[in-house]
Amino acid sequence: MNPIDTQVLALVSANARMSADDIADQLQISANQVETILKNLETQGVIVQYTTVVDEKKLPQRSGKIKALIEVSVRPEKRTGFEAIARKIAQFTNVVDHYLVSGGYDFLVIVEGDSLEEISSFVSDKLASIDNVRSTATHFIMKKYKEKGILIGQQPKEERLAVSP
Amino acid sequence: MKSDFSHILDTIPPSGIRKFFDLVIGAQDVISLGVGEPDFRTPWAIREDAIFSLEQGKTSYTSNSGLLECREAIVDYLARRFQAHYDPKTEILLTFGVSEAVDIVLRSILNPGDEVIVPEPSYVCYTPLVQLAGGKVVPLNTSDTQFIPDPDQIARAITHKTKAIILCSPSNPTGRTIPKDTLIQIGKLAREHDFWIITDEVYAELTYDESFQSVAALPNLKPSTILLNGFSKAFAMTGWRLGYVCGPPELISRATKIHQYSALCAPITAQYAAIEAVKNCAKDVQDMRESYKGRRNLFVKRLNEIGLPTLLPEGAFYCFPDIRQTGLSSEEFALRLLKEQRVAVVPGHVFGLGGEGHIRCCYATSLEELKEALSRIKKFMRSLK
Repeated sequence: MNPIDTQVLALVSANARMSADDIADQLQISANQVETILKNLETQGVIVQYTTVVDEKKLPQRSGKIKALIEVSVRPEKRTGFEAIARKIAQFTNVVDHYLVSGGYDFLVIVEGDSLEEISSFVSDKLASIDNVRSTATHFIMKKYKEKGILIGQQPKEERLAVSP
Repeated sequence: MKSDFSHILDTIPPSGIRKFFDLVIGAQDVISLGVGEPDFRTPWAIREDAIFSLEQGKTSYTSNSGLLECREAIVDYLARRFQAHYDPKTEILLTFGVSEAVDIVLRSILNPGDEVIVPEPSYVCYTPLVQLAGGKVVPLNTSDTQFIPDPDQIARAITHKTKAIILCSPSNPTGRTIPKDTLIQIGKLAREHDFWIITDEVYAELTYDESFQSVAALPNLKPSTILLNGFSKAFAMTGWRLGYVCGPPELISRATKIHQYSALCAPITAQYAAIEAVKNCAKDVQDMRESYKGRRNLFVKRLNEIGLPTLLPEGAFYCFPDIRQTGLSSEEFALRLLKEQRVAVVPGHVFGLGGEGHIRCCYATSLEELKEALSRIKKFMRSLK
């Protein structure tokens, strides 16, 4: 990755819908170069996906997703350590983020579902039932304040004067 | 007797920016490129430290020069960031923004009839403050040298009454930055003819392509230099009103005398905030700089594409498009652009000589707004044909 790649990445990370022209003009390169850089980053798997930060509270009632953080303690396996169990967990559709962490437990698993019941049954049927899983602790998310560096909810309006020195 | 107000003051017109401001207020759906401040809020770490200081009950006056802890932090920052070295005890004074610093510095050095060279177009406060301090402004039109002051032109303006030159680089309103070689030549003149260089470096952190050269860090120039800087632009702290002046002890002690009687001390909350700003916020400043730089590149390129020749400014967050080919004066252009397309810019003539024929656009506004402004300016340009 050269510095220009990094700069392109920073701009699309902040706004995935920014046009190639706008990226190009900000970085003083051509739109074709931007397209090529993005293609390369996609091919190399640096850019895995373009996603959206959503404020579920603004969605019509009950259409929002329910999210929970689950602390999972496991018994590492001979030879494969955490890897085999991790792969098993990560593949479930309900799992949106999955990290191996230091500290009091092993995996931080973030799951999403349409209802509390869906998540509860995922935890009991799928997660806790895996052989090497010793314990789980589920924390439902009650309110989002910030996601992916973006503050969620109303920000007070800009109060600058229209013309100033 | 009461109707006889200060005669000097009555000769000074109110700021041309102010007049335009009154026109913009009340207009609907206006995109303003007329602001002179960042579109970021002060980084949270800074605000949080200020709040903490309030919780701790830090609400008193400080020493006239400012908290020693704050002066030390600023002096460390200047050395680290710009290789400018000052003694926190005797060579720095904290002020209400750079504006107060300009005022008290001029009042500290000028006697009636002393001349101050001001390369123009320039920020709007220098000329009135020189006049209020009893000095005489010698304006230099820099439009023939792409708004970079020309040492030969300066040399020709020097008389035995020349007391100082005021430099602002990166410049408000043009965004141009004075190259190091030019600064060295101006410095040579200042030493030979024994006058001050008052250098307003409030946009120093907003330098995009090369690293910033402070006048105070040039060899042998520190004794001739009065360095002005502040927190408004670099740290997005316009409303906190905190600036500072650095210079030789004999200047600082005099400026402190005026400050002591007219201002007492800079606000203590802002001083605590400033300590956090200079110590721990380099990353925030870097992020803001990157963001301005991208917007500068896009905005200036597209202004040129729609037929307004614009130099790529090296710093600050202004550009200064040339509108002469439209045949309109800068005031007509700005008024009609506001009325017909609802885009506010500042007409160049308010910034003095060489400003006519240009408009000042501030690109410290969101990319979406800049693009909308560009499309409106394009429509306006088409309507002129």
